[in-house]
Amino acid sequence: MIKQPSILSKTNLFYALVVGVMIVLPIAMDSRTLTILLTQFCIFAILAMSYDILLGYTGIISFGHAMFFGVGAYSTAIMLSDFGPTLGSFMASIAVGIVLSSLISIVSGALTLRLKNHFYAMFTLAISGLFLVVAEKWRTVTKGNDGFTFRAPEFFRERLYFYLFVLICLVIVFILLKRFVSSPFGKVLVAIRENEQRTRSLGFKTLGYKIIASVVAGAVASLAGSLYAVSLRFVNTSVMTMDITLDALMMTIIGGVGTLIGPIIGAGVIEFAQHYLSGLARDYPIFERWIIFFGILYILAVIFFPRGIVGTVYMKYQEWSVKRGRKSATLKFVEEKE
Amino acid sequence: MELIISLTINGLATGMLIFLLAAGLTLIFGLMDVLNFAHGGLFVWGAYTGVFTYAWSESFVVGIIAAILTGLVLGFVTEKLIITPVYGNHVQQILITLGFMLVLQEMIKVVFGPNGVPVKVPPYLAGSWEIGELTIIKYRVFIIVVGFALFGILQFILKRTKVGLIVRAGVMNKEMTQALGINIKRVFLLVFMCGAALAALGGMLMAPYSGIVYAEMGMEYAILGFIVVVIGGMGSFQGSLMAAILVGLAGSFMAYYVPFLSVAVNMILMAIVLIFRPQGLFSVVKG
Repeated sequence: MIKQPSILSKTNLFYALVVGVMIVLPIAMDSRTLTILLTQFCIFAILAMSYDILLGYTGIISFGHAMFFGVGAYSTAIMLSDFGPTLGSFMASIAVGIVLSSLISIVSGALTLRLKNHFYAMFTLAISGLFLVVAEKWRTVTKGNDGFTFRAPEFFRERLYFYLFVLICLVIVFILLKRFVSSPFGKVLVAIRENEQRTRSLGFKTLGYKIIASVVAGAVASLAGSLYAVSLRFVNTSVMTMDITLDALMMTIIGGVGTLIGPIIGAGVIEFAQHYLSGLARDYPIFERWIIFFGILYILAVIFFPRGIVGTVYMKYQEWSVKRGRKSATLKFVEEKE
Repeated sequence: MELIISLTINGLATGMLIFLLAAGLTLIFGLMDVLNFAHGGLFVWGAYTGVFTYAWSESFVVGIIAAILTGLVLGFVTEKLIITPVYGNHVQQILITLGFMLVLQEMIKVVFGPNGVPVKVPPYLAGSWEIGELTIIKYRVFIIVVGFALFGILQFILKRTKVGLIVRAGVMNKEMTQALGINIKRVFLLVFMCGAALAALGGMLMAPYSGIVYAEMGMEYAILGFIVVVIGGMGSFQGSLMAAILVGLAGSFMAYYVPFLSVAVNMILMAIVLIFRPQGLFSVVKG
């Protein structure tokens, strides 16, 4: 009989503590920059977690994740500017974004998820490229490359309230995704990642599982997009570019694939590093090209930390506890002898 | 009639340029089974070094040679530093070469400055021939000739020479070739360098055609190259050639007849091909 972890386990207490600090920090510091930075961090943490459902849990590389982010951002921006900046229309726009993204991922998934890894990667690149082109050409709705500004709901004018809202979203998404990946369904996804052939021969219809994984990932990415649009109060086609996908990819890799806490940490590292490095650019011009450092970091991460920060820490911890376990066993043996 | 001929020539020229880019990708993927997303970075480095040497020496040929040399050197460095640790793992290959792509693209801005650089067609290739109502731009013909010539040379080397035999044997069975006393690592390094040189050459030839070089062109054209490789079937030269011509022609005819679809035509072509033939039109890779 496996002991069920209680709600008040050590890990959960630790998470609660971290969330507590994140609530108190911007209130105590009273710094506008910090609040904005933390908001960005939470939004990208949501995006990176959704990406990891694909990359880390199911083993699918998608280059089209920005498409879902963009769908969310545009549905929110368009609905807020058309139906007035109220909380109601904001909530409705989140729902619209999620429904749209789910539909897109069902259709594109059904067509393409039977392709092999690299073909799928190319295909998602093409589809999201197509969406980017549509967004740029369909100027009556999207205003093309110039984008448009809109008014955020009254309640979110206060940066702090919006930050708290985003933080709550992050916590809820984290809990829901945690339930998702630790459910039997999530275990099948991991099995697909490890060996799709074998999973299929065990009688699982892997295509269906992969489609549902991509629907979940798409829906969560769309939520992140909605929040992102409100945080900027502006939207243009840059929300659909490859850069967004690359950011999510990099956060997932650096934080640690195949965990949910990894992408959050990765998002934190990258958001703060980005902020810090572009701050340095004022004194040292070379830092204006901070993407170079990111590229190098990224290469080094793939070569030396394929498991990312969380994976590496976890591995070290396991080694350590095995060592300690052995030691205590030896001690017990000695004690028994005596 | 004149219209159709001139649209065809435009399409062929664009197709050939894309083929030059895709040939390197095909070489590297088809023979070494490496997905090189940094290809666009090699392409743009070839374009910049070639263009700068061309401006400095005032000779287009010297520019081309400089571009090819850059490709060879960068190919050497890339294979040694970036590709060697991730042979045989597609996911890691995609991730690491993408990171390297970012570095290459940003390094362009550091070394050559962030702004685009205008490029002129050399005088002996500038201008056009007028035949009746038909105008044929010389540089486009030049590109078409170079493209077909390179295709012929590559096919000849791979199918008819001893080097080609060794490369193909190495791809079929690495261990056996190694056991016959051939340093397979060196062969792969050589193949990668050639692929990189093809990318750099493609960049240099593209420069006067588009009239300007800029750092972001690497990623844009790399996506085009990938689309062609996917349509043609990964690892097939004939496939890449056919697909590149198809994409070029579709682009040029669509731009005239259905302008609003022209930007999306490549993606649509790829989507259609992948839905009906997921392995591409002329695939040699099982899968």
